[in-house]
Amino acid sequence: MLPTTTYRTAAFVEAARQIGVELTVASEQRSTLEAANPAGLLTLDFQYPERAADFVRTFARQHPIDAVVGVDDDTAVVAAAIAERLKLKGNPLHAATAARDKHQQRELLAEAGVPIPRFALHMLGENPLTIAQATAYPCVLKPLRLSASRGVMRADNIPGFVKAHNRLKAILAEPEAAACGEPAWQFLVEEFIPGYEVALEGLVVNRRLHVLALFDKPDPLDGPFFEETIYVTPSTVPAGLQSAIVQCAERAVRAIGITEGPVHAELRYNERGPWLIELAARPIGGRCSAVLRFGDQKVSLEELILRHALGVPLPSLQRERQAAGVMMIPIPGAGRLQEVRGIAAAKAVPLIQDVQITAHPGERLVPFPEGSRYPGFIFARGEEPRLVEAALRHAHRELTFVMDTA
Amino acid sequence: MAATDIGITAEPIDDQRCKFIVSQPVLAGGVRRFSDPAEAKGSPLAEAIFAIPGLTVGELIVSGNIVTVVKQSPAPWQAVGRAVGNAIRTALSADVPAVASAPRPASGDPSAVNDDALYEKVAKVFDEQVNPMVARHGGRVELIDVQDAVVMLRMGGGCQGCGMADVTLRQGIEGMLAQLVPAVRGIVDITDHTSGANPYFQAAKK
Repeated sequence: MLPTTTYRTAAFVEAARQIGVELTVASEQRSTLEAANPAGLLTLDFQYPERAADFVRTFARQHPIDAVVGVDDDTAVVAAAIAERLKLKGNPLHAATAARDKHQQRELLAEAGVPIPRFALHMLGENPLTIAQATAYPCVLKPLRLSASRGVMRADNIPGFVKAHNRLKAILAEPEAAACGEPAWQFLVEEFIPGYEVALEGLVVNRRLHVLALFDKPDPLDGPFFEETIYVTPSTVPAGLQSAIVQCAERAVRAIGITEGPVHAELRYNERGPWLIELAARPIGGRCSAVLRFGDQKVSLEELILRHALGVPLPSLQRERQAAGVMMIPIPGAGRLQEVRGIAAAKAVPLIQDVQITAHPGERLVPFPEGSRYPGFIFARGEEPRLVEAALRHAHRELTFVMDTA
Repeated sequence: MAATDIGITAEPIDDQRCKFIVSQPVLAGGVRRFSDPAEAKGSPLAEAIFAIPGLTVGELIVSGNIVTVVKQSPAPWQAVGRAVGNAIRTALSADVPAVASAPRPASGDPSAVNDDALYEKVAKVFDEQVNPMVARHGGRVELIDVQDAVVMLRMGGGCQGCGMADVTLRQGIEGMLAQLVPAVRGIVDITDHTSGANPYFQAAKK
């Protein structure tokens, strides 16, 4: 299931071609060519997983389906519903639903004793001053459903909380956010956990978490907003601590009830140990998966995911030996993008594999926390993580975003 | 023009395919496809790319200012891309055309006749079926050429840079051609998707 807004269309379509499997692509908006290929193109309402599952059950009578894969938080839930209905490999619907909902997820994690920040659920309609006065600082305000840290803000005091609340309220009133219904009327207030952040990419096979990569996030994520930038793997975190991080993620996977498929977790660690910040039943977002290759054949993450779902033999889950990294290019400011200069120079930086500008000329760029669309991605590979990180920063410095800020 | 004045941007499509977008036309008008070194003879740019050590080229397509290289060797684009860029620069700096015009088919050459016939059939499918459909999203698909039964196309309007362009291509157009013109062996998209100024669907989620 490929939402029309996903970055991952090309990667999954190509992975299916590599495996040689027939593909039916389901999206939430109708393809112009759907009538020409009714077996290969399908429109599903991702807002209603059960309804979508009913529709697919009927569809599958004519066009049998062997596996179902979602690529983001919403489609992971729809995939779980379809998998249950068609008795295919997948997560239980309740687990995928809990993984998508930040509050449900935290309740399950807390119940299982997984270390997570203290949290409280609030309605947007509550008096922000009342909540602010009862909150310990620093804290983080989080919407329940939005992705890519959109709307996530740190507050250090009562006035900061009220200001952040107003911004979050406006963000959740935007049509795209409001479309998810009740979760857009609520938000979380969470304890801010200081520390170093890592991301874990994994594949759950028959309830067992296989770690595919542990990424360092060398740029501090201390707020006030939480725009991600650099991911580099392998992690330079000491081995003992890495084990503790992986164990924390394993406990979280069990607590939420994820049994099959990709997971992406964000964790922090400090002197008190690892903390689970988020766990999603989907692969890494954006175009970041391009830095991951597995085994001698350098198989893509998407191919691993499809192979696992189909139940065909998996190649090695061992990531390639080289260090690899990606930079989600920071949003350069608010305004309309006119052009990006220095792409050739950025690509010429040693160790840089590619620079992909995904924002198009004339596109309006919106900084965090209201926005969440990175203007592009930079990819690097090298012998050592520190060299990869340096190459990413160097390449980024070569880029100039010419903006019309009028 | 001096080689140093020629700008080239490499855009890997995947591990096998990479587009090299050149700041000046490489082959103005038409398209040429080379599938082996023998075919490359007489076109200095193609000869040079096929001769790059460590790069086993399976296919080379030149159209306008885009050179698409399809390789079979595992060497990453990072390692071989620079050599391809140098080959393009050197060929464009020489006094002879970098890419020779397509040879005229010998009379009675069955493959040439087939490509012409395929072109007509594919063009009909594009005109009568594909383009009226993609026009609903402000898109268009242009048939550039058919060589050795491989269709070369370029997407424009809402299709250029669209997040679902691969779905349109592989799930839509490829399927239609497989059904309506089964002699087509493959499709190559030579679109510069990064220049799409008005894509219909735009990736936005993490």
